Amino acid sequence: MLVAWNYRYRNSLIDRIDPRARLIFSFAVLIAATSTWNSLLLAIIFMISILWYAAAKLSWKDTKRGWMMISILLFTMIVVNTIITGGGAGGVVPEGGQLVWPDGFNLFGRHLTFGLTVERLWFAVAQLMRILSISLVFIMIPYTMDSRAYGVTFRKLGLPDRLAYTMELSFRFIPTLARNFQVTLDAQRARGFELDSVKGGIFNKIKRIAPLIIPVTMNAIVSSEDIANAMDLRGFGQQKRTWLYELKYHWWDYAVIAFAVIMLGGVLFLAFGRGMRLFHVPQWWYGLFN
Amino acid sequence: MYSNEVSKQEKKSLWRFGTKEVVYAAIGAALYAVVTWAFNVWQIPGAGNVGVRPAVVLPMFFGIAFGPIVGFITGFVGNILADLLSGYGFWVWWDLGNGIMGLIPGLFSVLITNYKSGGSILRAEISVVLGVLFGMGLAAVSEMWVSGADMNTVIFGNFLPAFLTNVLWGLVLLPLLMVAYSAIVSQSGR
Repeated sequence: MLVAWNYRYRNSLIDRIDPRARLIFSFAVLIAATSTWNSLLLAIIFMISILWYAAAKLSWKDTKRGWMMISILLFTMIVVNTIITGGGAGGVVPEGGQLVWPDGFNLFGRHLTFGLTVERLWFAVAQLMRILSISLVFIMIPYTMDSRAYGVTFRKLGLPDRLAYTMELSFRFIPTLARNFQVTLDAQRARGFELDSVKGGIFNKIKRIAPLIIPVTMNAIVSSEDIANAMDLRGFGQQKRTWLYELKYHWWDYAVIAFAVIMLGGVLFLAFGRGMRLFHVPQWWYGLFN
Repeated sequence: MYSNEVSKQEKKSLWRFGTKEVVYAAIGAALYAVVTWAFNVWQIPGAGNVGVRPAVVLPMFFGIAFGPIVGFITGFVGNILADLLSGYGFWVWWDLGNGIMGLIPGLFSVLITNYKSGGSILRAEISVVLGVLFGMGLAAVSEMWVSGADMNTVIFGNFLPAFLTNVLWGLVLLPLLMVAYSAIVSQSGR
């Protein structure tokens, strides 16, 4: 089983930005987008997220798996919960409102009434902008961040040395464990174990995974003892760590961080200081349904 | 120590994070990522039509065996790595939820005296239910803040599917892992 990381250098603008600055920007977008339901502010954040995503030069082929997952989330949250059942809009959109089809409508010769309101429809738009803004900045991380950079990035962002090193070490273990997993799977299949069988009840199906999970886990634990001893012999944790993959801020990284801070500060000020936090429907939207 | 008994010295060091714990946490996280990825991307049809995420047992087991910090990192970092491998992005509130699924069983690790005794397994099973309840509860409730979903959506759309499948995997697989680990503890004198 070959493990392939999704990252590759694309010579994009994002590739030139320090991973710390990128993470700070992503979290600024997350906090800004979740601080308000104001559609104007959400539209601005959404546009910024689109530009940020475009700067990464990602192709559809690269990211389609992630977008498929987000599409399911969007469909459930927006189409099913907000538009069809009205559940997802609860608590944000006030009760009642103007019906989109006040007299109902005819479909296949039958008269149907549907309680979708203009307010709930606008909420779906706001919800779409909010979820997509967050998705755009976070979905690109696996594709734009070198796996060697995670440990040092989190260390430089303030995580303790040992925790950052744990992250670094886990990246190193993945190819070995993936190989062990493959060997175990092949060995169990060679013994005639029916991992793929769909027979039996739910508990039997779950228990059928055990001959795969248990040997892989126990092997990993046994081998970790030797690794820990080797690390202790080399004096692990006695001094501050240095990292092979060095990070260095450039002026444009500071510019990205400054932009993220200003954007977040601006959104928080407008949301909490200027009353732009709550959901409201613009008048022109009502005009479309009259 | 050549028995299944967990020593008093180990019991006192619940929050220890030395070299061994660093390695266990890294191994646990990597294992979580590989197993999740294998079942996600590789589409192993091992569990028929059951929600295929057997890796959730790993943070629980690493928590029970090596304490709350190792359990938390196994779930938290493991879920980040699994999402990176699968290309799903970076969803910190679900990563935290997975971390809590390992942290809470880790808190119960002081109550585990013998990995194959009925009492210890029962306590471990209780920790599984609590861990998944709080972990998936936090992750699901965070969707109210992030996506603006209401409580009904959160409970029926996010929480219940994750809670039920994760609890099922944990309750069935954790005792098996504990019994297997007990043999290693006996042989190696850990």
